[in-house]
Amino acid sequence: MGLGRYITARVAWAAAVAFIIVSLTFLLLALSPNPQVQQAATQAALQGDNPQEAREQARQLRGLDKPIHVRYIDYVVGIFTLNWGWSTMRSQPVTEAILSSLYYTAQYSIPWTILTVTIGPIVGLYSSANKYSWRDHAATGFAFFGFSIPNFFFGIILLLVFGIWLEWVPVIYNTNVAVFSLENARQLILPVFVLVTGSIGGIMRVSRNESSEYMNADFVKTARAKGVSPLRAYALHILRPTMVPLSTTMVGQLLLLFAGSSLLVEVVFSIPGLGRVLFESVIAQDTSLVLGTTLVFVFVGVIGNLLQDITYTVLDPRIGYEDR
Amino acid sequence: MPTEDRAWMESSDEAPRYIRRRQWLKALGVAGIAGFAGCQGDGDGGTETAADTPTDTPTESGTDTGTDTQDFGETATESTPVNQLPEPSGTYDTVTSAAYTTLNPLYNTEAGAGDAIGFALDGGYTFDDQQEYFPLLYDMSTDNGQVWVFEVREGLEFSDPYGEVTAESFTYQIQELHQTDWAGTADSASWGSGVNVEQTGTYEFQAELPSTNILYPESFDPLLYPVPKDLVQPYVEEQDAEGLRQDEELLELQFTGNLGAFVLDEWNRGSGTTYTRNDDYYIQNIDEGPDLFEGAPYFEGASTSVVQEQSSRLGALETGEADVASIPPTRFQEFDEKESVNVLQIPQPYNEIISVNMRDNGWNAGPGNLFRHIPFRQAMAAAINKQNLIDGVFQGLAAPHYTWQPRWSRFYPEGADLSTFGSGDQYGSDYARGLAEDAFEMSEHDYAFDGDTMVNPDGDQVALTLYHSAGQETERLESEFAAQELNNNLGMNVQVEAIDGTRFDNEYWSNNPVEPGTTATVNGEEYTWNAPSPNNGGPRSATSNQAWDMSMVFGLNTFPRNPLTNQFFFDGPNSFYNPVGYYPEFNAPELFQQAREATSVEEVERAFAEIFVNVAREQPYIMLAFPDGLTGYNPDLVGPIENFSNGWNFPAWRFEEG
Repeated sequence: MGLGRYITARVAWAAAVAFIIVSLTFLLLALSPNPQVQQAATQAALQGDNPQEAREQARQLRGLDKPIHVRYIDYVVGIFTLNWGWSTMRSQPVTEAILSSLYYTAQYSIPWTILTVTIGPIVGLYSSANKYSWRDHAATGFAFFGFSIPNFFFGIILLLVFGIWLEWVPVIYNTNVAVFSLENARQLILPVFVLVTGSIGGIMRVSRNESSEYMNADFVKTARAKGVSPLRAYALHILRPTMVPLSTTMVGQLLLLFAGSSLLVEVVFSIPGLGRVLFESVIAQDTSLVLGTTLVFVFVGVIGNLLQDITYTVLDPRIGYEDR
Repeated sequence: MPTEDRAWMESSDEAPRYIRRRQWLKALGVAGIAGFAGCQGDGDGGTETAADTPTDTPTESGTDTGTDTQDFGETATESTPVNQLPEPSGTYDTVTSAAYTTLNPLYNTEAGAGDAIGFALDGGYTFDDQQEYFPLLYDMSTDNGQVWVFEVREGLEFSDPYGEVTAESFTYQIQELHQTDWAGTADSASWGSGVNVEQTGTYEFQAELPSTNILYPESFDPLLYPVPKDLVQPYVEEQDAEGLRQDEELLELQFTGNLGAFVLDEWNRGSGTTYTRNDDYYIQNIDEGPDLFEGAPYFEGASTSVVQEQSSRLGALETGEADVASIPPTRFQEFDEKESVNVLQIPQPYNEIISVNMRDNGWNAGPGNLFRHIPFRQAMAAAINKQNLIDGVFQGLAAPHYTWQPRWSRFYPEGADLSTFGSGDQYGSDYARGLAEDAFEMSEHDYAFDGDTMVNPDGDQVALTLYHSAGQETERLESEFAAQELNNNLGMNVQVEAIDGTRFDNEYWSNNPVEPGTTATVNGEEYTWNAPSPNNGGPRSATSNQAWDMSMVFGLNTFPRNPLTNQFFFDGPNSFYNPVGYYPEFNAPELFQQAREATSVEEVERAFAEIFVNVAREQPYIMLAFPDGLTGYNPDLVGPIENFSNGWNFPAWRFEEG
């Protein structure tokens, strides 16, 4: 199987996974009681009307009286025609809600991902190259600090120091500033810093341990004996095999943080991003928006895993496509 | 700029008919309502609500046409003539803890969104700092309390092409939207079919009520936001509720003309709203109100920002990024000492109570349910020292709560023989134990005191659980204090547990309603539950999914302006709102009937004096305290006052360099 066919197969599998997850989400939501229906019944009762009748009307209005398979088909058709419904929580189409929140999430998550992916492995490698020196201990301490301190708490502390005491950065996130502006950089520096410190710790530690294995490996010794410069030895002979297992950790960890930590950081720094939209839509039981945001996270997840698999094969040519 | 107090149950969705949301608000002081100038959005001050926007206060009501005992706070209305109007400057920036569901005034049910709408669109009226009716878009008058005449102000304009606001703008809205089944607007229940609305002139219409109601404006039922007839007519013809709800002009407030202090520039769904000054604001030309209205508003713009985290909101207040934020009592001292913040203590009507579950799944300490006996509830109230609670938990920033009305209300039964459990002689172990023993005698089961310990018929110590909202520090402290007092003075073992508010509401607080038409005998009388709801599911056998004993999760509103609304809580087994299964043992239905049919405020007062004395005696909820609303403002801001109506004159607010 060539690379092209492999990627095609993986994409098809990713689509199937996405379909299954979205179907499961639909099923779970369909089975949970709808608070809006309950609310309508309560209101009717307050007005002295028949709550049962109101409940039926509410169900009818939302299409909940249709058989579940009909609702499911409507839903799937809507997904493929990009008609993802109306968000009752935000009074706007779901696609618009997702795009507008993604716009803000991307502004901090892109620099965060780039910095994590570049700094994490390099610091790990540096630590490994200077094992048990004060540099190693400092890097390890930094990694453990970032890994251990809760992002939520760390964010509040930084905001207190740099936002309120020193007034170097604004406390309230301003959505009206240009993306590529100093003002935007100022208001995003803390969330990016918090997320980067939270995510490079694990990557750095894995990178350090993995690269330690190769530091004195025969092929590295051979390369050095042949006169390869230390930098080249680290970058091509040690870092490359290190990256194979690391890529798994990295994708998993980044995805986890993307869904979890980004919400907390968005809450602390009042960024109207995707994490908050997903969380709030679940709380408000805004079914259309929950499904829409779930789809986005599923999409990010499967794409991440796809990239991870492809990276595997590029980094380690011994891994064939046939068995996968 | 009135902020209507419609706003509790979020999600204005496609429900076919809508709750009497003002009644909800009024009925539920629960997390999510407060709605008075700048005292929301906190999360630790007792009532957690939606916004920090000090626009206006017309929460509940009370046509307190200026007599006797009421003291709604500082009255700082500027009545002296102004020689030179100030120049508009700066932007008035507010913070809110939750994003808005909708800004469509026909469907809004949230206090925070009500404030955001209020920047760009005035409602019909408000109440001034003397608690007098103050006409904004229309004046209201009546001869007999049953027929109310609305006089619409001339010179009110919608944006092009919708023209002038006339009586028809309101009557069409009422008759074709609120009084129909298909539209399901927020105000549908306020304009039930029993209200006969008729246009009597270009600028005049009248509403005939099914019976007299001298506190009609105070009920906020007649409060309307104008919408252009031509804008809604296509939806009316098609009976298209979804289209009406999703209309962009309504959602983005593009029709507001000269009807608000500001023009909405942008509503960013996740982050808030921004406005610019409306140079043509109609209020500049009205005769009523302070002279300063002539040049209103005095800000170049305004904004609301969604900031969920309380510490960030307080930080924004401190750095000047926000001009107002509510202050938790634990940080009152700190902010009060800051020069960059001006902290006001504003009277508010929400109480701190312990709800005791009198339904069949309450009292999990043994057989029977002692909460059902008045002396036992009295014993609990007597075991908790109110002043110590106020000093220790609220840093002295609260008042004792004896009956269902704050002391500053004109309806508070001043001078009556009111029970004051938890204070003076009516506090203490001996006193509380005496009451508890009375309750034991009333019980069919052998509860008793074994030394200092209250024991059940098996001889085990009475052990109960008290829930409070997770993450609410003040509430946790309050619960722990109450548990300690109940242990010390009554020998009960009370475990304090945190719980998520939504989970508590769904699983513990809401009952599973019985079938409509279910009958049961209560206090010797037979009652029928024709419309059971999750807030009163029926007789005490109608219970929630999960058993529970006591809760501090929800505080409730006491309605000092319009106490008639309290009938929702105390009007017998069929009360609209009775999650705890309380049945009054005094003649509440008759007294409420007297109050409803009263033809003068004095008559209402007399009926309520009796009601409130009985409520203090029966302790349907264990009443503890009325915390002050603590709001921090930019010290350069001129206008906010420590008054229940703080914000009524918002158009005259301005910045002046201190």
